[in-house]
Amino acid sequence: MAEQNREVLLRVENLCQYFKSGKYVNKAVNNVSFDIYKGEVFGLVGESGCGKTTTGRSIIKIYDITSGNVYFKGQRVAAGTLSYKEAIKSARKRIAAEIKELEAKNEPDCKEKVAEKKAELAKIVAENKAAIASAHHDNKYSDRDYARSLVAQLKKDYDAKIAATKDPMKIAELKKQYKNDVRIAKKTKLITKIQMIFQDPIASLNPRMTVKEIISEGLVINGIKDKKYLEEKVYEILELVGLVREHAGRYPHEFSGGQRQRIGIARSVIMRPDMIIADEPISALDVSIQAQVINLLNELRENLGLTILFIAHDLSVVKYFSDRIGVMYFGNMVELADSNELFAHPMHPYTRSLLSAIPQPDPHTEKQRQRITYNAALAHDYSVDKPSLREVCPGHFVYCNDAEEKAYKEEFGV
Amino acid sequence: MGKILEVNNLKISFRTQGGTVKAVRDISFDIEKGETLAIVGESGSGKSVTTKAILGILAGNSIVEGGEILFDGKDLLKIDEEEMHKIRGDKIAMIFQDPLSSLNPIVKIGKQITEAMLLKNKASRRISRKEFNAMLACLKKNLIEVHGSAASAEISEKIKTFDKFNIVAIKYETAYNDAHDKAQELIADIGEMLSYMERHQKINVKEKLGDIAKKLPRVTNKFLSAGYDDKLAAYATTVASLKSSYDEKSEESAAKVMAALAELKATLEEILSASRPDFFRIGYYSMMNPSATLVDMSIDELNEMTLKFLDENFMKDFISLETSAIKHSAERSIAAKKKVLEAIPEARTYFGTKKFDKKGAKAQAKKLSALVSNCIDKLDIVKDSATYTFGSALNNAIDKYFLAVKNNPKEEARFKKQSAKREKLVKRGKTVDWKVVPAVVYDLDDLTDNILKIINNIATKYENDVANAENVDFSARAIAFIDSLKEKASLVVYKLTKRMAKEKAIKLMDEVGIPDSRIRYNQYPFEFSGGMRQRIVIAIALSANPDILICDEPTTALDVTIQAQILELINNLKKERNLSVIFITHDLGVVANIADKIAVMYAGKIVEYGTADDIFYDPRHPYTWALLSSMPDLDTEEKLEAIPGTPPNMIYPPVGDAFAARNKYALKIDFEQQPPQFDVTPSHWAATWLLHPEAPKVEPPQIIKERIERMKKRGGM
Repeated sequence: MAEQNREVLLRVENLCQYFKSGKYVNKAVNNVSFDIYKGEVFGLVGESGCGKTTTGRSIIKIYDITSGNVYFKGQRVAAGTLSYKEAIKSARKRIAAEIKELEAKNEPDCKEKVAEKKAELAKIVAENKAAIASAHHDNKYSDRDYARSLVAQLKKDYDAKIAATKDPMKIAELKKQYKNDVRIAKKTKLITKIQMIFQDPIASLNPRMTVKEIISEGLVINGIKDKKYLEEKVYEILELVGLVREHAGRYPHEFSGGQRQRIGIARSVIMRPDMIIADEPISALDVSIQAQVINLLNELRENLGLTILFIAHDLSVVKYFSDRIGVMYFGNMVELADSNELFAHPMHPYTRSLLSAIPQPDPHTEKQRQRITYNAALAHDYSVDKPSLREVCPGHFVYCNDAEEKAYKEEFGV
Repeated sequence: MGKILEVNNLKISFRTQGGTVKAVRDISFDIEKGETLAIVGESGSGKSVTTKAILGILAGNSIVEGGEILFDGKDLLKIDEEEMHKIRGDKIAMIFQDPLSSLNPIVKIGKQITEAMLLKNKASRRISRKEFNAMLACLKKNLIEVHGSAASAEISEKIKTFDKFNIVAIKYETAYNDAHDKAQELIADIGEMLSYMERHQKINVKEKLGDIAKKLPRVTNKFLSAGYDDKLAAYATTVASLKSSYDEKSEESAAKVMAALAELKATLEEILSASRPDFFRIGYYSMMNPSATLVDMSIDELNEMTLKFLDENFMKDFISLETSAIKHSAERSIAAKKKVLEAIPEARTYFGTKKFDKKGAKAQAKKLSALVSNCIDKLDIVKDSATYTFGSALNNAIDKYFLAVKNNPKEEARFKKQSAKREKLVKRGKTVDWKVVPAVVYDLDDLTDNILKIINNIATKYENDVANAENVDFSARAIAFIDSLKEKASLVVYKLTKRMAKEKAIKLMDEVGIPDSRIRYNQYPFEFSGGMRQRIVIAIALSANPDILICDEPTTALDVTIQAQILELINNLKKERNLSVIFITHDLGVVANIADKIAVMYAGKIVEYGTADDIFYDPRHPYTWALLSSMPDLDTEEKLEAIPGTPPNMIYPPVGDAFAARNKYALKIDFEQQPPQFDVTPSHWAATWLLHPEAPKVEPPQIIKERIERMKKRGGM
């Protein structure tokens, strides 16, 4: 892909997702930022419990995110408020301390200075409160805003069309069409342009619905009533994912694992999404079936121009399938790079340990394999120098501090 | 090395509503001690069914149609539940695919891990004592036969001595091992603590110091810490005083603690670096000289002195005596085998005519099995399964034959009657909603062949044995016998208390990579993530210290790092405990590291069998090609070659090669006739017509050829 015409489809900024359990707060995802460009496959890897699935689910708004922003097609679809609240809290604390100090000194211009400080605090609070309000608004109304923009666009198009035609019959027909389209547009949600494929094909399909009902459910919810159109669509999609028309009337239990996963894919593709979040779509399948599903996803990506966020733990598959890869460890993104670059020059010690653990179908290298172990407490010294995600060389981001950044740069001669 | 488990011609099917599903169709393999066999195949290929048959946990609707599973002189398909219960989990353990279903949700996991250990320990002490006594008694009997009853008093004296000093030795050894373990633990603890303190990371120093002070006295042992006892006591008081005086904020006190700990660590390392005393010798010496203190000389001197003492006074005599007994027993067994071989032609002709009545057949079988049971060599450590199970296997086969003779006409009559009835109804124009159940008729020729096969098997085996009778190394067998006795003795004195079981469980949990194992010990299964649960299941399976470990897709649900850890763990345990492992998986990449042999299964048959190198560098069966080419490795760029279609319906298994329908290299004959096994090398065979000399030359897919090239280059071959 050429560097210049890369359009950012999804931008995740400082995403945090915390879960409260009792008095503890479980920081499942902590300050993760990345961009996904149009048409690429972005792989997300990490061990179980590191927050990769949570990231995917937060993007599609299954959870209300704690802090940070998610932009999809330039529109903010999800926003968290914790960072603003904390900003207010810390500002209050800081300024209270400063005021106390001033009062203790009791200088002649004390009162003015205190008033100044108070004004400063009021400003910060107002700013952050506005941000919180806007976050709430975007969380709630991003879909409505998108629908409104769609309706406006439709109105413009149809006005132009109606103005162009003179036949009254045609105008009536156009108006009718316009009405129907507006009805659908009003129900359209921006978030439906992102679809998800789940890990377990058995658990994610309703056993009491036929395949046709399962696949067309999304369209029905979005206001399409024409049964013939729905049927045609379902058949088209079934053939697209490598099933046949006859399968439409069957129930999920009548299919094998690979076919079930195809149904799951068909269900998400029928919404004509711009982006698919594939949450470990192949880890529950046999090796031979895995290849079928990967090939299918590859075809769909080429034919429909899909962007895919591919969450998996099988690194050979991720390497084969993804353009860029993000490595997560305990809620943090520790390394992010082009897939070939990542495998050629892994920098973060966790990535190295991860790569050293990949099983290979080769007895000789396997027997000589030295697995690198990673212990976060021993590998880094972050007591003074705090780490962050930094671009060590172009397009290659690593979570490190100043000293480590220097060491990485030296090691790879950047 | 002997075969520990043999599976011969196993056939299993399942009765279902749609018909009989033939899950396993005539497979044979064997496993040697300390070897790993990987069974690879798609789901539904029968790999799990095979292992479930080994453990005797097949579903209720299963039918074992034939074959045998030989383990430890028993046929696991024929023993009753009571006996199976002793083997299951104890001798053969299994790790299941789904960890949640094999854990009890309402019992803390610590209890689940220690439960088996404690129960097994009680039983094993009793059983080991019994076996130990039985072995010695058998030895004594043979010795008396060789040397005449005149020497019997001397012989029983010798054996009694051996018994006694063995137990003394083992007691010393357990105490030593305990102290040794504690010292190692302490070194690890101190090392960890120091590394944290050096980095100024937050830890509870007081608590840790308390732990160390508690553990220190347990390092003292007569043999281990000889000469260090005063020093250790001094350290204990120092640590205790440091604990009370430690101040978190002061750098000085931290430095003090670190200096003291470093010194202690060095001392402990020094203690551990000493060579290990040989307790077998020391046991004898201390029994003969109960007043000896033993600790006034260095360990090396002690070892040498006791060895000399033992050899001169006891061992040389004992070994020569023992060898003579073993030789005697083996010779008797060979003589009995010769007798069996003489009797076999008669039996062969009797069953070969295919005209025999029940009474005659039973008499014939009784005669033959009595002869065969005489061949049992009780002093041979490696039990000869074929001899042990011969009688029951033969009887079973004969019973099956006569059952078929009785039932076949009945079944046919029923079938005829029902079909006639159905036809009548159909003719009258009624819709019939029931089907005629096909007649279950067994082929009598097959059943007689089964009987003959059992007889022929034992004949060829005995011919080999008789031919090799001259080349048996009796002194090696004598040493193996003593080793086995030692092992039994160690189990007799090995007493496990609850506290020790807990320590062992925590150690096991650390071994399988569960962090904070002390806290985790008291948690319930639902508090663990999937990977952690699987590790607990592995810990439970290992806690019983089995001979064979069956792993049914243990890493399929886990991610790479943990998968690698668990594979490494299984590999290490295999080496340490000389464990035999059966590893079931659908992912060939996983087994490259751990498998010695690989069996590729498809539709209930083994289609290719060979060492790991054979399968990965020289695959021959198209199904193996397909499996290899459908998964990407790190260098794969091109499109993957998926296997089209799905596995066949095993209610109606295909006539020819089961893979033919999905195979783009299929020949015409593949659809008509089952391929036999074609040997590629002595250790490697594949069942595909492509290996037939007249078959067209077919190259494996490009993607595999390239990969093998790459691998060979990397491996420097």
